[in-house]
Amino acid sequence: MSDHEGSGPDDDVDDADLDDADLDADEREDADAVATAEPVLDTAMAGADERPHLSRVERQATPYTESQVIMATVKVVSPFVFTYGLFITFHGGGSPGGGFQGGAIMAAVVFMIAFAFGIDATRQWLANAAVVALAVGGTLAFAGIGLATMALGGAFLQYELLPIPKPVTYGMEGVEILGIAAIVSGVLMGLFFLLAVGFDRGDGAAVTDGGRDRDGGHDRDGDRSADAADAADAADHAAAGGDGEGGAAHATATDHGGNR
Amino acid sequence: MTGAAPLPAPVVAEITAIEASLFVFVVVTAIVTALARDVLAAVIVFGAYSLGMAALYTFYRAPDVAMTEAAISAGVTTILLLLTLAKTTRIDHEIAFESVNWPAAGVVGLLFTGMLLVIPEIPAVGDPDAPVWSNPDVTGYYIANTYADTGVENAVMAVLAAYRGFDTFGEAVVVLAAGIAALIVLHREVFA
Repeated sequence: MSDHEGSGPDDDVDDADLDDADLDADEREDADAVATAEPVLDTAMAGADERPHLSRVERQATPYTESQVIMATVKVVSPFVFTYGLFITFHGGGSPGGGFQGGAIMAAVVFMIAFAFGIDATRQWLANAAVVALAVGGTLAFAGIGLATMALGGAFLQYELLPIPKPVTYGMEGVEILGIAAIVSGVLMGLFFLLAVGFDRGDGAAVTDGGRDRDGGHDRDGDRSADAADAADAADHAAAGGDGEGGAAHATATDHGGNR
Repeated sequence: MTGAAPLPAPVVAEITAIEASLFVFVVVTAIVTALARDVLAAVIVFGAYSLGMAALYTFYRAPDVAMTEAAISAGVTTILLLLTLAKTTRIDHEIAFESVNWPAAGVVGLLFTGMLLVIPEIPAVGDPDAPVWSNPDVTGYYIANTYADTGVENAVMAVLAAYRGFDTFGEAVVVLAAGIAALIVLHREVFA
């Protein structure tokens, strides 16, 4: 009791402590209900919460708002942006630009589509094989052009030896278009999707949570996050943080039960 | 080798009003980026800073650098930072700006003063006697021979893809390695 009073932040904790263990059990059940009824609770709290910012639950999920304005705009703009990226890439020999800039612009088209139609939907539409093929295939194409000239008896990337008309010009264009543009666009798309997914809590988080449980840091949040999905965990945190006094009472009650 | 190519007339001009306003814009956005309390605001202002830098590069006749700055810094980096921020909790701040850390500001001021002292030694913009122009072995050679050697008009691309192609290959591999490193750090096996 005394150590809990030391850690209790406000008066509600003391109110909870004055009740007996039965009430603590009730409180714990309430906390479980908080965790399981996440969607309803989330919307209810979002209504009660006057802050303009998104709650933590909404931020944990893939940030996507379906907007007719954004979708229509992206539908109109993206073909032009993609064409501009192609132009920058293909016309790099005669005007400012090149594979790096054009590849970045073409990757930005995918970013736009993802923001308009949802990152997960875009990820499914653009298969992993396509992203990997762009990044790795670009590197192989660059290396292949360089090694081909070596196979023909020259130095690395000695374009004059390529058996094509205007070998230096088209060899450079090949490196820029097939190599650099593909690498840059592929890697940028990959980084985008990776960041959208975030840290994979599948195995790594399970290991750390398991260790925390064995070490005795056995609050209920730890147990739940070890075996339940992230969403339930996030909902519980939102309940503790966003609900104010009631949520704090619930959270401390559960901690109290765990410490006994 | 034909030596230094016939260079355009020296363009040692006064700072125009547009350049001056771009300078002010870049400095203000940089300071706001450093001092903004809200990370979201800092990221957005940083994107504006990159856009100002891109415009400034265009004014100083570096369109390739300007394009890279606009596409990578202003566009892609801002998007990736925003995506990362979307996964964090945003804290409400009562005040808009951090309080200035005066010792750090003093160090920055000393460094800034030192850099300002060097500026008179730098050749003026467009000065034909600047070493970067008057060097016949490097810059002059590229300007004089790029089209004859490679058949492309953009000397920057000729340097990147032909004269220094092996360096560029190394950079391309570095970009691929960065993507793979991100996969490893995030414990994932697929990009998408």
